[in-house]
Amino acid sequence: MAKTITLTVNGQSYSGEAESRTLLTHFLRDTLRLTGTHMGCVVGRCGACTVMWNGRAVKSCMVFAVQADGDEIVTVEGLAQDKRLHPLQEAFWKNDAVECGYCTPGMLMSAYGLLSKGDKPTDEQIKKAISGNLCRCTGYGNIVTAIKEAAANFTK
Amino acid sequence: MDFPINAPIGERVRRKETQRFITGTGRYVDDLLPAGTLHVSFVRSSCAHAKIKSIDVEAARSMPGVRAVFTGKEIAQQVKPLRVGGSSVLRPVKLYPLAVEKVRYFGEPLAAVVADNRYLAEDAAEAVQVEYELLPAVIDPEAAMEPSAPPVHEDAGSNIVYKYHFATDGIDKVFQDAEVVIKERIRSHRITACPIEPRAYLAQYNKEEDSLTMWSATANPHSLRGRIADMLNFPEGKIRVIAPDVGGSFGVKIQTYQEELLLPYLSRELSRPIKWCETRVEHMRNGRHGRDQIHYIELALKKDGTMLGIRDKIIADMGSTYTVDHSIQAAALYMTGVYQIQNYAVDAFGISTNKTTHGSLRGIGKADASYILERLVDIAARELKLDPIDIRMKNFIPADAFPYRNATGALYDSGQYHLAMKRTAEIAGYEQLRKEQTELRKKGIYRGIGVALVMEPTSSSRIHATGGYASCRLRVDPSGAATVFSSMGEQGQGHETTIAQIVASQTGIPFDKITVIHGDTLPTPYGFGTGSSRSSVVLMPSAWVAGKLLRDKILGIGGRLLSVAPDRLEIGDGKVFAKENKEKSVAVMEIVRTAYGAIHLLPENMEPGLEVTGYFINPNIDYTPDDKGRMNTFSSYPYAAVVAVVDVDVETGMIKIVRYCTVHDCGNMINPQIVDTQQQGSIMQGIGAALYEELRYSEDGQLMSSTFMDYRLPSVEEVPEMALEHIITPNPFTPLGAKGAGETGMLGPPPALCSAVEDALSPLGVKIRETPLTPDRVLDLIEKAQANRAHG
Repeated sequence: MAKTITLTVNGQSYSGEAESRTLLTHFLRDTLRLTGTHMGCVVGRCGACTVMWNGRAVKSCMVFAVQADGDEIVTVEGLAQDKRLHPLQEAFWKNDAVECGYCTPGMLMSAYGLLSKGDKPTDEQIKKAISGNLCRCTGYGNIVTAIKEAAANFTK
Repeated sequence: MDFPINAPIGERVRRKETQRFITGTGRYVDDLLPAGTLHVSFVRSSCAHAKIKSIDVEAARSMPGVRAVFTGKEIAQQVKPLRVGGSSVLRPVKLYPLAVEKVRYFGEPLAAVVADNRYLAEDAAEAVQVEYELLPAVIDPEAAMEPSAPPVHEDAGSNIVYKYHFATDGIDKVFQDAEVVIKERIRSHRITACPIEPRAYLAQYNKEEDSLTMWSATANPHSLRGRIADMLNFPEGKIRVIAPDVGGSFGVKIQTYQEELLLPYLSRELSRPIKWCETRVEHMRNGRHGRDQIHYIELALKKDGTMLGIRDKIIADMGSTYTVDHSIQAAALYMTGVYQIQNYAVDAFGISTNKTTHGSLRGIGKADASYILERLVDIAARELKLDPIDIRMKNFIPADAFPYRNATGALYDSGQYHLAMKRTAEIAGYEQLRKEQTELRKKGIYRGIGVALVMEPTSSSRIHATGGYASCRLRVDPSGAATVFSSMGEQGQGHETTIAQIVASQTGIPFDKITVIHGDTLPTPYGFGTGSSRSSVVLMPSAWVAGKLLRDKILGIGGRLLSVAPDRLEIGDGKVFAKENKEKSVAVMEIVRTAYGAIHLLPENMEPGLEVTGYFINPNIDYTPDDKGRMNTFSSYPYAAVVAVVDVDVETGMIKIVRYCTVHDCGNMINPQIVDTQQQGSIMQGIGAALYEELRYSEDGQLMSSTFMDYRLPSVEEVPEMALEHIITPNPFTPLGAKGAGETGMLGPPPALCSAVEDALSPLGVKIRETPLTPDRVLDLIEKAQANRAHG
């Protein structure tokens, strides 16, 4: 059964029809056409679909769209402000933390979730924050370096 | 060949393509949704080997949102089968988009449901009823070779679908006379590539134009276009295949798949855009699998460790064989690896089984060869009580022997194996590690030191398969900006950056003003897929050739305008100027305007415009064997030395990689940053292959590892401390001096980590012949070794 839901995504209000079984990832991608959030496994293992849901990084394939009705979502499209890249994006670019780009939005959002907590994270905290995000291209090293560098430049 | 390395070649330029990936504006197939798109879901075989008795689609047809249901039988009447194989060695089999009379592997598509969205399509696919008559599943490749084994392909006449034999003269005598012969059975286990983006296809038939556009997450757009044309009997020129951003391939997306061929047909039938995005479970079951070779291998040596000869029998599990797959030959030609061994014999067999089809995977065939050879060398060292580095140093091909022809005729371009091994041992502190190991053993810590030197033949040339060439078309438009149309697609390799670096270095056109277009058959010149690390060996040189042709043209026009001979001119700062007198100059923009608009000022016989096409052909390739069966099919031979240090917990079987040290040589690097990142990712993929990842089949042919829960990719938690260095021995046969750079990293961990773990557990007498080294396997090996000792 379809229901109209309203979400605030990247500061903008959106409404759309969602069935009770529609995954949040599919709602963002197919209904709102925000395709930056990716889908790699649909069972919560790869992390490519990670978004911020009410201030927490979550895997959006593990959330039904109707569960997020009335809630606040931030996706990778919402990271850059006024066409200025977020320090995480700058650091990913500078440190070559990207190859094919498919896992990148999820990596960025998991890292964003970590940095949003405010404290300067340790290496262990960085690893823990992205331990649910799989990358097959880069071998993770540059990603960890990038997050560390961004953490130094990040103001909430 | 003399090549001027002008900036920005060799610089760590940050990648152009990264900008769209970090902002969520990349464009992958699943991001596309033309108006009116319908979605497909496939009904897949629930058994490995069975006759299809009946398929009942009536219930599915009447479900909500369902537009059509197709079965294999219906499709087979409408399309031509793709004939796979058919060379002198591989018997051809027919491939239809959906299974027709029988299914040959668990998960094979046998019917397709088209519906308004993916949810409805999946619902209806579940309602399709299939009745099977079970056939015995052929799972063990060795049993499948028996004449009495049930046939996977009746047409092929036997499950042995590929045979290769090679032997140097007098090989048996070498073994008869040898002081020591080591004999082993070693298996490389079945794994798969697992790009994070699964496969995805979107076909759009345009009725008015009678044309087809196919968006595919493919690494091989031009070949795919030809196959669609062939199967549908549709004019090739009216098909456009576009590989937009592709989320990784590692070989798995270079093949043509059943689903990929069906979508264009469905779109034409229904006159609607048709889309399919694979789930991860489908990808594990249907994406090509790799490795899985059994080697019965023997090494003849002198007592002092001098290697004399190798004899090998290879049994390769090709799965259901719906592909042309050269993994076996890629292994068989390189079993002597990096050692001076000129006596060699091999009998290789490719076997059909009821598993998912085997295919390309980063390091195809060559990874099996280097793993099994390095394993064997370790076993020989232990037997002869030699240090694993010493036995290697004693037998490496020396630097002054290059170009070196191995026993099978392969021509290695260049290398410094002794130097690479020596330097790796230095970085690792090898001597010190051995001392520490002795101390740690006294404390009950099982530390192991593993050694390997792996070599990766790259840039293959096979007739009608990989082509052996690449091309780039380069156009400077009247505004002075350049566009390069590359014949090869990319799936994360960074071609948009490296090609622009090369063209900028040649032509003086600023890096930022160069756009690279790839993966679209309409504007790009014909070419073969991105595989075998070919990009740096043939594609980048083709960009260099295009850049040089354009440079020559710019200098030619400049020469005419300045009345100076072109060879006395130079390009720089947006100008063409005389080398002797920089004041004598003309702006490059003036030359561009002349080329397009004032052609009466062009040198005699020069064509108008600024558009050139550069081709580059793989050097040193043999297309037919010599009278002794020898030939070279690869153009460059990068390699890496590894010293890996591990601690093994004998209570839990857990392996901790303490440090992974490697020295890599891929010749000149166009962008060392891109090489480093690729190398790190490649090493992690190799660690996954060695320790965690395995495709396991049950006896009746069910795939037991179909999700990321039971097929474990390495995460950030598994990244060890790494020390990564390069030495540079340029490939003397290509203008850039570059070798392949994408695969060597993956080859190192399996032999190096097995070597390290066996070394760690040597006090217990553990022998490693099977992988991956999961905790349960390690515990099992320890138990077996202890049992052996008890009986021993």
